[in-house]
Amino acid sequence: MLTIALDAVTTAALLFIISSGLLIVFGVMKIINFAHAAFVTVGAYAALVGTRLGLPWALVLPLAFATGAACGALTEATIVRRLYQRPLDAILATWGLGTVIGQLVTLIFGREVQFVQAPITGTIDLFGLDYSAYRIAMIAAAVIVAVAFTGLLSGTRLGLSTRAVIMNEMLAQGLGVDSSRVRLVTFALGSGLAALAGALITPLSSVDPNMGLPWLISAFMLVMVSGGSLPTLAVSCIVLGGLQVIVSTFVNPILGGLTIAICAAIVLRIRPEGFARA
Amino acid sequence: MISRAFLTSLALIAATGSALAADPIRIGVPVGLSGANSVVAPSVVQSAELAVEEINAKGGVLGRPLALDVADDGSGAAGAQKAFDALVFQKKVNVLISMETSAARNAGLPIVARGKTPFIYTSFYEGKSCSPYLYVNAWVPEQQVPPIVDYFNKEKKAKSYFLIGSDYAFGRGMLAFTKSYIEKTGGKVVGEEYLPMDGSDWTPIISKLKASGADAIITSTAGGAPNVTLTKQLRAAGVSLPYGNLAVDEGTAKSMGTDAAGIYISASYVTGIDSTANKTFLAAMSKKFGADLKTPNDLSVPEYEAVYAYKAAVEKAGGTDPQKVLAALADVSVDGPRGSIRMDKQRHAPLTMYLGQVQADGSVKVIQSFPNVDPGAQCPPKS
Repeated sequence: MLTIALDAVTTAALLFIISSGLLIVFGVMKIINFAHAAFVTVGAYAALVGTRLGLPWALVLPLAFATGAACGALTEATIVRRLYQRPLDAILATWGLGTVIGQLVTLIFGREVQFVQAPITGTIDLFGLDYSAYRIAMIAAAVIVAVAFTGLLSGTRLGLSTRAVIMNEMLAQGLGVDSSRVRLVTFALGSGLAALAGALITPLSSVDPNMGLPWLISAFMLVMVSGGSLPTLAVSCIVLGGLQVIVSTFVNPILGGLTIAICAAIVLRIRPEGFARA
Repeated sequence: MISRAFLTSLALIAATGSALAADPIRIGVPVGLSGANSVVAPSVVQSAELAVEEINAKGGVLGRPLALDVADDGSGAAGAQKAFDALVFQKKVNVLISMETSAARNAGLPIVARGKTPFIYTSFYEGKSCSPYLYVNAWVPEQQVPPIVDYFNKEKKAKSYFLIGSDYAFGRGMLAFTKSYIEKTGGKVVGEEYLPMDGSDWTPIISKLKASGADAIITSTAGGAPNVTLTKQLRAAGVSLPYGNLAVDEGTAKSMGTDAAGIYISASYVTGIDSTANKTFLAAMSKKFGADLKTPNDLSVPEYEAVYAYKAAVEKAGGTDPQKVLAALADVSVDGPRGSIRMDKQRHAPLTMYLGQVQADGSVKVIQSFPNVDPGAQCPPKS
């Protein structure tokens, strides 16, 4: 029972870390960034390069974030900026961009699976149960991401402008908020978070050019269900991630892999606004 | 790169003089240069190139040089149809010798039958592929699984096993055989779990494994990412049971670092085979390819030997007539890096299997060898 609880919470934490970057972009821009998976991959490769250079993890994580943010800013300025009025085209463009980034990664690093040594290895004893120390650390990482994110949105000037743009962009512009700068910074932040997530999952995952893709569908579904706010995203991750663990444990892991997508579809059918304003 | 090697072999042909002026014997190599097999395919092509170069340097086969035609099968059925069509009907190759995915092999077999072209398949696979045009010189489950299970039964006193795999034909096929073999040898399977091929979170399965109290684990995932994620997560969860991995190759094990240490693998080829033939082969490979050398492995070495098997069969048959060559392939034996191999068991070959354990530095130490493991009844004659 305790195992299932721990599995559920750590799975939710991982899902939260992966989908928060997608959420911030969706919240401000109302577009889904399908290049998210590629930015996750970029972050993982940044971690690979960082650890190969012998950097400590305290530097590897900022490096991954900065790499992702730089890629994101470039993407926003060159591609996404032209597509705000055409959200469907934006999906197509970002999906295509994801493919291009995947191929570039393949060209530079090759197609094969790479390895990053984990900063934390082994297990810790939790209430008489040996549990993977790194997964426990992921809970802390998710909390840090959530706190930093909330602090940024509610405690800074940038956050204020961002919230203004989310609520009413025209009005915000009329009051002198440079909404295109807000969008640029938001997209860069979202991409940076994706890359950070990529670096954080490397110890549990392989590093290969397509590693981000399996996560994209779950992240997308969770963001849709959450309705675009951070607390509801956390709720979606815990509820759907928990269901995934329960189905995987008691039915089988193949159905478990479908749980998030199916439950999200059912939730959205019954309540189109998802968990928002629940 | 392929064309460069091809030119080199042409130059060699010219150098060895008029004896080789005859029409070349063409060997078609449909292989997954793109897609899932693209990591291993270059090593397979290198093996074939070395075999052809060596044979041509010694005067070819019946006075005719060998020439390679490499085609990309995209690692799947659709690409394989194109590749086989092109090789069999346009290039009119005399034989196909290649390592491919099972999907690609199955798509190619009808074309091989239509073109009446002999086909030597050099990849280990799930077994029981029985086209009359097909010979196989690599292992099937009946050869790979017993060394690991026998070793765990005897040396590790394992009584209960937990099986983990990827949800696809090879993964399920290997574990179905493993399960029946474990039960036949008196063990018990206490759990059998699969994750989709693109799945990356093994947490619930690992929790079940820990709760099951199994003495040993045997896994058969898709190569590459699933294998790595599973191994990493097993290690992160502190699992230190005897761990047999049916899908890891020496190269992957090497790059996985400390996470792979202790894993047991079973293969018909490991670079550490202590024989003159293997050492000569490895030296010739590094001489020919230098820094570009892809480490020879259990999928590439059979390709090298199969070229020699074809040479021997053509010489025995006195020509390239497909039916005569097919008959001769069952009789000829090749002394190669893996030892002496003859495909005389219903078009499959008894093989010496090596049980290896991955060491902390990533090298594979041979713990025990099992000479001439029989492939069993792969293609029993229809009664």
